[in-house]
Amino acid sequence: MKFTLPIILVAVTAGLMTLALFGAGHSSGTVGIAAGSAVFSTKASTPEQGLNNLLADVQRRNWDRAYSALSTTSAGDRQSFIQDWTGSDGSLRSFSSLEGFQARPLHATNDDAQMRVRLHWTTPVGPIEDVRDFHLIREGGTWKVAWPKMQISSVPAQIIPVTYLRWDLVSGSGSDEWGSKNVDAPHVRIISMNAVDSAEGAVVMGEVVNEDTIPAFVNVNAALVDGAGKAIDDESSFDKIDHVLLPKQVTPYRIDFPNINLKNVKNVRMDVKATLVPASADPVIGVMNQKVVSDVQGKSILQGDLMNESGQTVNIPHVIASFYDNNGKVIWVSDGYVNRALLPQSGQPFAVEIPKSLAGKVQSFHVVVNQYSLVRS
Amino acid sequence: MERTTVNSVQSYSRPIPLIAIILVALAVHGPLLMMQLPAGSFDANFHMFFASHYAHHWFNPWNEKWFAGFSQTTYPPLTHQWIALLSNVVGLKMGYMLVQLIAVLLLPVGVFRFARIWVEDRAASYAALGSIFLGALAFLVYQAGQLATVASAALYLNALPYFYEWITESSGRSLVKGVAVSLAAAAAHHVTLIFGVVLFAGPVLWVAFFDARDERVSGSSAGVLSRAAVFGVAVAAGVGIVLLPYWLAILQHPIHQIPIPHDSRANFLLNSTTAINYFVIPYGALILALPFIFLRGASSRRLIPLLFGFWLTFIFGLGGTTPLPRWLLGRAYDILTFERFTFWATLMAMPLVGVLAVEILDRFQAKVAVALSLAAVGTIGTALWWLSANPYRPTGSMNVEPVIAFLNRDGHDTYRYVTLGFGSELSKVSTYSSAGSVDGDYNSARLLPEMTHYGSAQLTNAKFYGSAGMASLRAMLEHANRYGLKYIFVHDSYYEPLLTFAGWRKIETFNNGDITAWSKDDVPPAHRIDSDAIPAPWQGLLWGILPMAVSLLAIFLELLLPEGRRAKMPVGVPVRAERAEQHSVA
Repeated sequence: MKFTLPIILVAVTAGLMTLALFGAGHSSGTVGIAAGSAVFSTKASTPEQGLNNLLADVQRRNWDRAYSALSTTSAGDRQSFIQDWTGSDGSLRSFSSLEGFQARPLHATNDDAQMRVRLHWTTPVGPIEDVRDFHLIREGGTWKVAWPKMQISSVPAQIIPVTYLRWDLVSGSGSDEWGSKNVDAPHVRIISMNAVDSAEGAVVMGEVVNEDTIPAFVNVNAALVDGAGKAIDDESSFDKIDHVLLPKQVTPYRIDFPNINLKNVKNVRMDVKATLVPASADPVIGVMNQKVVSDVQGKSILQGDLMNESGQTVNIPHVIASFYDNNGKVIWVSDGYVNRALLPQSGQPFAVEIPKSLAGKVQSFHVVVNQYSLVRS
Repeated sequence: MERTTVNSVQSYSRPIPLIAIILVALAVHGPLLMMQLPAGSFDANFHMFFASHYAHHWFNPWNEKWFAGFSQTTYPPLTHQWIALLSNVVGLKMGYMLVQLIAVLLLPVGVFRFARIWVEDRAASYAALGSIFLGALAFLVYQAGQLATVASAALYLNALPYFYEWITESSGRSLVKGVAVSLAAAAAHHVTLIFGVVLFAGPVLWVAFFDARDERVSGSSAGVLSRAAVFGVAVAAGVGIVLLPYWLAILQHPIHQIPIPHDSRANFLLNSTTAINYFVIPYGALILALPFIFLRGASSRRLIPLLFGFWLTFIFGLGGTTPLPRWLLGRAYDILTFERFTFWATLMAMPLVGVLAVEILDRFQAKVAVALSLAAVGTIGTALWWLSANPYRPTGSMNVEPVIAFLNRDGHDTYRYVTLGFGSELSKVSTYSSAGSVDGDYNSARLLPEMTHYGSAQLTNAKFYGSAGMASLRAMLEHANRYGLKYIFVHDSYYEPLLTFAGWRKIETFNNGDITAWSKDDVPPAHRIDSDAIPAPWQGLLWGILPMAVSLLAIFLELLLPEGRRAKMPVGVPVRAERAEQHSVA
């Protein structure tokens, strides 16, 4: 008994640990931004395992191990490899963490393989999904990722004159409110509204215009009302609107009502609130080469390029697009954040998704670009 | 020289007096607590927040300051109410430290008395002395701030010898005292009592059954079981009554929220930092004693129940490193955190560690005394060093006074607020400001769907819960108008892009930009959110009277009905003899 029982207990403990590593009780990932290294890790004897090991190290920001596990044929240095994952210039990617990934092979031979990975990023503005292809090579019995060279845009030194309009606000009160409450609010108007059902629930969308000669800070709220006149739900446009509107500027808006079907809705109460605020037309971001296409996953997307025409970095560009049918009615509003920063006088591609059922009805579209800049924040 | 040796041998062969052990505990932990070291721990501000509410509204457990209103009957109140009482004299923070100090001083007493069920006095005294230096204790007190867990465990350990006495000797005095102390333990922390029944009381019942069967005690096996049932029924009924508002609250709103990730549930083999935090630091030098614990625990039939209890608790403390806790606990696995099991495992190991100390001291004397002292000091020292070395340490150095001042002026408290990146300082802001928040630092009390539908905890720590955390924050911000959520205080620029795109604007900066205040223009003033979770006034009365009453009853019973003297064990027999005539217990 003196030795038998301890041996049994130790053996059971070891067995349970093994089971947790490989079996039914496999534990999910740790909370938060993972750090530290695994006490136990598996050998990259398959392309899947090689890619999993690399991405697990990227998740843990274990850069030394991740970089050392790359194929010798990889291009680029350690710094550019890290920058590819962590972003730069205060871009959305630099705020993001790789939360998960799903890989599937595209093709594989004995010595090389092509894998397509769906990367799940957690970001300050919500989850973002990326699809990326990886090339793996077998070196000495171990599968390693061949890392491609990253194109890093560089901007030559130059002076950019600022000629755009700017509105300052002189507030007489010492209050800590933003904007001005003691002057007439700017005149803004909802110029279109459309309510539709989607897979996630009801959606109210349309466009708002600032009809005034001063800038406005705008919020659109909507309440769904049933047949008895009772409010079913009230929601706001949140981030699916460009809140700061310059004079005569139009923005799309979209308000989501999750898990609500329009057949239960009798009426929609719209409410637009505007406040006079300081604003600037700078930075100006141009939208070019827009077209509706299908991506590698077969989804309909509107893609194009953003061009920063000003002299300051736009850290996080946000694209909001309204789509019209042949009657000029807004049939969908879609938005998307751009991972990389828009450097002065530089461009970045963007893409926003269109529901498959609506893609065929889209006749035209209008894109506005909202932005977050560290220097302004 | 010869004389010195003789004295040292004699001193090693006697139990250490309990009063000396308590003084050592006071000497080690007293200064750390008076320096308010736990004030920076994860949960200290949470406990002070609850205590602050009791200090102002003793008989009204409905607290409007978190989650747009929640009931404090969702957490056993004893430690908070004692802090609230003391805060009238010494202030909240020092009140917390004093209650924590009392818990820390009660712990070695409890370990000593618990250990005497299994081993003789000398080993028990070493066990008690060792418990002062446990890494797990330092972890819970100074890093996690789990006041209630420590207090409840200390009380529970003190109740178990009465349980043993009652079931083996049919001592009515022990029954009354045991039940009273158990109820006080439950009033401090219900989870400790629930798991303690299986992990601590189970082995005690088991060994009492063996003792009765082998006629080492006067009672019969059937008598042991029947008296255990009486004790169990008495405690269950008492806990049912003392914590009645808690049970009503939990029955009305069972915890259905999406599981919140916690590192103590991770597989330690897959993350070295987690392994250090939840295994190496809490166990410290005890890791070296593990082989002895297993071998010696299996060597005596009386110790096998203790060994099994330790092993099971040890396995639970490993969290997701083994699948056993998930299998046995089911859904509760995703609600519990597992560092407390490690603490309990170290407490259960202490009787065997006491035996180890006796055996090697008898053999090597002064050299081993030095080595054991170094191991003990090294263990607690490492745990204290880890407070600053731990990458997950709490952010305790933030000055939140300007935020509190902002909320308390110019009618800002007519709106609700959220902090982002404040960690446990959220509780401090809530304690001292008059405004309410939709966030809060107690997961089990949350009822707002914006929080319970996502697998994340506090909004202030949203980013650490990944997409689930940010989705929860986003859902809350989307409903800002509904809750009167106008002000957001940011201590982490990570959140600024979301606030900017969602329509909040920066209005003020504090501490040279360390904290920024953000506001949204069209938010209406906050109004009271209707809830079916508001306790009835009679529940507030019960909650304000019974938990405190059972703790006072336990104190009075300890004073009025002192322990009988325990027969001395033969010197040199570290493990309690298995012969009937040598049985005695405190």
